[in-house]
Amino acid sequence: MNTLVGQIKLETKLFLREKEALFWTLAFPVFMIVLFGLIWKDDTWDGTPAIGYVLPGIIVMAVMVTCILNTAMGTVEEREKGVFRRLSLTPLKRQTLIGGQIVNQYLIVLVQTAILIAIGIAFFGATIGGNLLLLWVVLTIGAFSFLALGFALAGFIKNEKSAHPISMIVFFALMFLGGCFFPIEQMPEFLHPVCEALPSLHLNDALRMIAAEGAGLGEIWHELPVLLGWLAGCSAIAVKFFKWE
Amino acid sequence: MDIVVEVKDLTKRYNGLVAVNEVSFEIEKGEIFGLLGPNGAGKTTTVEMIESLRKPDSGSIKVCGIDASKGIDKVKELIGVQLQTTTIYDKIRVAEAIDLFGGYYQKSLPTNEILDEVSLNDKRDSFVQGLSHGQKQRLAMALALVNDPEVLFLDEPTTGLDPQARRNVWDIIERLKGRGKTIILTTHYMEEAERLCHRAGIMDYGKIIALDTPKNLIAKQNLDSAVEFTTSNGVAREIFQKLPKVSKVTQDGSRFILHTKEASSVLTELTRLSEVNGLNLESISVRKATLEDVFLELTGRKLRE
Repeated sequence: MNTLVGQIKLETKLFLREKEALFWTLAFPVFMIVLFGLIWKDDTWDGTPAIGYVLPGIIVMAVMVTCILNTAMGTVEEREKGVFRRLSLTPLKRQTLIGGQIVNQYLIVLVQTAILIAIGIAFFGATIGGNLLLLWVVLTIGAFSFLALGFALAGFIKNEKSAHPISMIVFFALMFLGGCFFPIEQMPEFLHPVCEALPSLHLNDALRMIAAEGAGLGEIWHELPVLLGWLAGCSAIAVKFFKWE
Repeated sequence: MDIVVEVKDLTKRYNGLVAVNEVSFEIEKGEIFGLLGPNGAGKTTTVEMIESLRKPDSGSIKVCGIDASKGIDKVKELIGVQLQTTTIYDKIRVAEAIDLFGGYYQKSLPTNEILDEVSLNDKRDSFVQGLSHGQKQRLAMALALVNDPEVLFLDEPTTGLDPQARRNVWDIIERLKGRGKTIILTTHYMEEAERLCHRAGIMDYGKIIALDTPKNLIAKQNLDSAVEFTTSNGVAREIFQKLPKVSKVTQDGSRFILHTKEASSVLTELTRLSEVNGLNLESISVRKATLEDVFLELTGRKLRE
């Protein structure tokens, strides 16, 4: 347990020292919410304030930066540089090493979400209509399915060079096809089945319904099977294909 | 005598190629044991099997009496390893890295003591990414020392270092040697092995072909001194073989090495021979025989080819 706490502290410290990671995980989403907030401050879409649509989309984007981009690229980098190899010579357990990374990413997700919601409420009139606990549970399920996806990707990415483009492609696909910035109804019909299969779409829909419409578990539960499916599937793939060297 | 490492008939194959072939040796407490040989001889594979980074195909390994195939976790507590290339996080400070690794072990030495040991005290607050190659190598040694290991593994600790940095690493190893630390060292620098090791095993094509103290390895081959020169005349080695007091002649292209117990008389004879036959002898040097000569003698090849 002490070692796990040590690993979490280490991962957090290392994260805070990476300027680039800090920019993409914290500064960039804040910039987006401020920009979109200013553009659509007083707009309403279909009778609901635009911010109610925009804020969850940016939260999902931010969560994906942390859980997919940072996880996949960071894991590949540490593996290819031989960090894992060196650590495997010490008594440190692999579960503790990965556990520390997962907890660290999850803490970052909570901080990102809290900051974005606070800005949305304070400056752009956003409201959280639904149950905060439910919001947190759904966010957590979403974050862990993206984390599983990040680790699964790391297993398939061969080297540091391809880590960036591959994780970027996945990230952008999930962001745009998952309706982070515009409703999928505006996309060509043939893409809809693809969108419906993506975890980002269901996390977006669930968060929007809870935040903007005050929906409860009864109204959003049907979004969860796809998220849980991705969580289970990617976890299995990650465990099977994860490479330490 | 305490045997700290016991290796028996260790064998490892890669894609049908035998990388390590029935290697056996024992290392006593306080001994600096060298594994020498050219790249690809199987040195690293051998030590990585003892470190439990790789699984042997057959053979047995005991570290401090513990069977390495069964007690990996116990063995990890007892050994310290410096890999050929050790990388840890770029954005970690030197002292932090030592603290971090210390926390992984049941017992660990104070960070300051380790920093002193490897002379990195003035770099304690520097990020790893800002260290020179030599400093990184010393940090790698520091991380291998945090648990005050029973056996320290150093895999080519000075490869790629400039002479000054190499001397720094040698100083550290000699200090550890003075304190009776047991060390397994791999190297392809023969002078390093001669200087540091109590005993050395010469590896070639996965086998240990000779194992003794550096002094005995040299003495056994009857290679006391070496008179080295090149000649552009394209003469056969037999002509040198016939010179009195010459025990052995080795040839490497136009370069000849005459081994002898009486270098001065051989020099005189050699001068006479070159005058009589009109030989053009260049870059003549006389030196003590080294492990390098032993390797050439045993394998017919130079070490750094």
